[in-house]
Amino acid sequence: MSLQADRGNMASRPEQSKLNRAAILSTILLGGCRGPQSVLSPAGRDAEVLASLFWVLLAGAVLLWLAVNGLMLFIAHLRPHPHSRRLAEALIIGGGIVLPVLLLTALLVFALREMPRQREMGSGLTVRVTGESWWWRVEYLPEGSETPIASANEIRLPTGSRSEITLEAREYIHSFWIPAFGGKTDMIPGRTTRMSLEPTLPGQYRGQCAEFCGESHARMALVGVAMRPDAFARWLAAEAAPAREPTTPEARRGREIFLREGCGGCHAVRGGPAQGTTGPDLTHLGGRATLAAGTLPMTRQSLIDWLRDPSAFKPGVRMPAYDHLSTADMADLAIYLEGLK
Amino acid sequence: MSRLRRFLARLDGFTLRALLMALALAGGVTAALVVGLGLFNVSARKGHLGLTEWVLHTTFRNSVALRAGAVPPENLASPEMIALGTGHFEQACSMCHGRPGEAQNATIRAMDPVPPHISALAADWAAPELHWIIHQGAKMTGMPAWPAQREDDVWPVVAFVQAAARMGSEEYDRLSAGDARGSCAMCHGEGGVSRNPLVPRLDILSPHYIAASLRAYRDGQRDSGIMAEAASGLGESAIARISTRFPAPEESAPSPIASKGAALATRGKGAVPSCAACHGPWPERLNAGFPALSGQHAAYLQSQLKLWRDGPRGGGELAQLMHHAARDLSDAEIADLADYYAALPPARLDGSER
Repeated sequence: MSLQADRGNMASRPEQSKLNRAAILSTILLGGCRGPQSVLSPAGRDAEVLASLFWVLLAGAVLLWLAVNGLMLFIAHLRPHPHSRRLAEALIIGGGIVLPVLLLTALLVFALREMPRQREMGSGLTVRVTGESWWWRVEYLPEGSETPIASANEIRLPTGSRSEITLEAREYIHSFWIPAFGGKTDMIPGRTTRMSLEPTLPGQYRGQCAEFCGESHARMALVGVAMRPDAFARWLAAEAAPAREPTTPEARRGREIFLREGCGGCHAVRGGPAQGTTGPDLTHLGGRATLAAGTLPMTRQSLIDWLRDPSAFKPGVRMPAYDHLSTADMADLAIYLEGLK
Repeated sequence: MSRLRRFLARLDGFTLRALLMALALAGGVTAALVVGLGLFNVSARKGHLGLTEWVLHTTFRNSVALRAGAVPPENLASPEMIALGTGHFEQACSMCHGRPGEAQNATIRAMDPVPPHISALAADWAAPELHWIIHQGAKMTGMPAWPAQREDDVWPVVAFVQAAARMGSEEYDRLSAGDARGSCAMCHGEGGVSRNPLVPRLDILSPHYIAASLRAYRDGQRDSGIMAEAASGLGESAIARISTRFPAPEESAPSPIASKGAALATRGKGAVPSCAACHGPWPERLNAGFPALSGQHAAYLQSQLKLWRDGPRGGGELAQLMHHAARDLSDAEIADLADYYAALPPARLDGSER
């Protein structure tokens, strides 16, 4: 400490910047513990369990580390002479066999009791999430409903009840993970996996694909939104409704361009002729927080940038570029899409 | 003999090196004189020496035999293939190789080597060899390479060459459309309604699309040796004239019909988007930049869909949209889609009449 103070007086520039870098690095590392995508700031029952498990394990690990190193210090420095055979055997058997067995058994019992709770059946709402290349198809099936309400790249769940999540994948293996809500579950082509989630804290969180799935794995994020039950019910009713009619002349022209350019071959805007299912449902696109699975913010400009050259933002994307559209056409198309709230 | 042996025995390393250098120098000087002073006579009037002729011809035959290996399509001998090949031959090849029942003209016969007459070719070469020669051309013979990368549209010409051995001038005239020779109608039929399923009918296409396609063929953006030949000399006024030449069919709004390809065409499946959103039939009027497919020939649609899926078919500025769309189609789906569109009544869906 005193050494640090002495040198601090004549700290040179490089050293100053080294300190700065350390400060920035620790801010980044610690900053990772909070925020919208963190296991350590849980907003759901399952995430809470995982977070407390993490803290318990961390505390245990610190205690064990102190005990082992304290023992080393004791033997090597404080009492550096032969110990009785009895003590040595007691230490080896007690600390090397009995203690680990007890600790690990306790942890195993705790984890085994937790596991079924993480996979409990949901009640009421079922959400089917399909891993596509590279986006998320999200379909809501309220209790008793047969026809899914199609959406994409954003999953909204009510707080206070456990929702069933069924997971599928079309081409490649993906993994569904919203750390604030719970653990991750793999999505495997040809199989249906499942989990359930019970968000507790209303808010907007971030999730991402947690299994390397190809070129744009890193650009395959999704937004998780936890809503109070009444707000969620209102939102779901609006999501189920067909698209709102464009009101301004620009938006109406945008709709014409949308249909003229064949966008409906891949995308659905419910309530009109566009019924494609290859790409994300766009009926309420403008109401989502992000564009292209968490890649861009939902703004008019990012819509234009994306339409001009999707592969610039998402390598290997299936959507072709519409760079043949004039600036005016593109602007109107973006206005129309942005207005699909 | 013994003198030579004695001379060789006396050669030491230095003498040998000097001798070899002197020989190399003499060779270099001779070559420089032949090239630089023009001592070699390139006249086509004289022909080659017998030995040169043999070396060139044998090299040619063996080179083709080594490289020819394409597998002919099953329908090689079909009348449609022969008819399409005849049209292209008339347009691009008859000038040098003559027509069945007609002698080559005198100027061509003064070439060295003389291009073989069309009636004699089939006896000399097997189908894969013909395919290779037509696609690759041959150096130092005047035979040009195929003006496109695509290899499948060479087969109709092979089909014609094989049929030409037994073809009379009357049949040739009938197949090359007699009076319509050299016009679009030679292959695409009167009014753009082609009778040959390998050749697209043009009456269902918008003038905008026909013009864009002709430009793409002309500029090498769309890969087809046959259409590159037909479109290569077209200026903008000719393109404007041709693209408005074909009157639209009567039908204006066909409705989807039930068939195997219908679901895929109207709704898409997996990574394959719905065809109808761009190509109709569709509640909205079609974008004139996309071709209508309603009533198009199935065989033509199949060949095009496979080109989209497997290779750089190319086209106008919208071509990349279709390369994305066709990527995941299976052969069976392609056949179903082609049958679906071929069964719809012919219609132009963008609202244009001419």
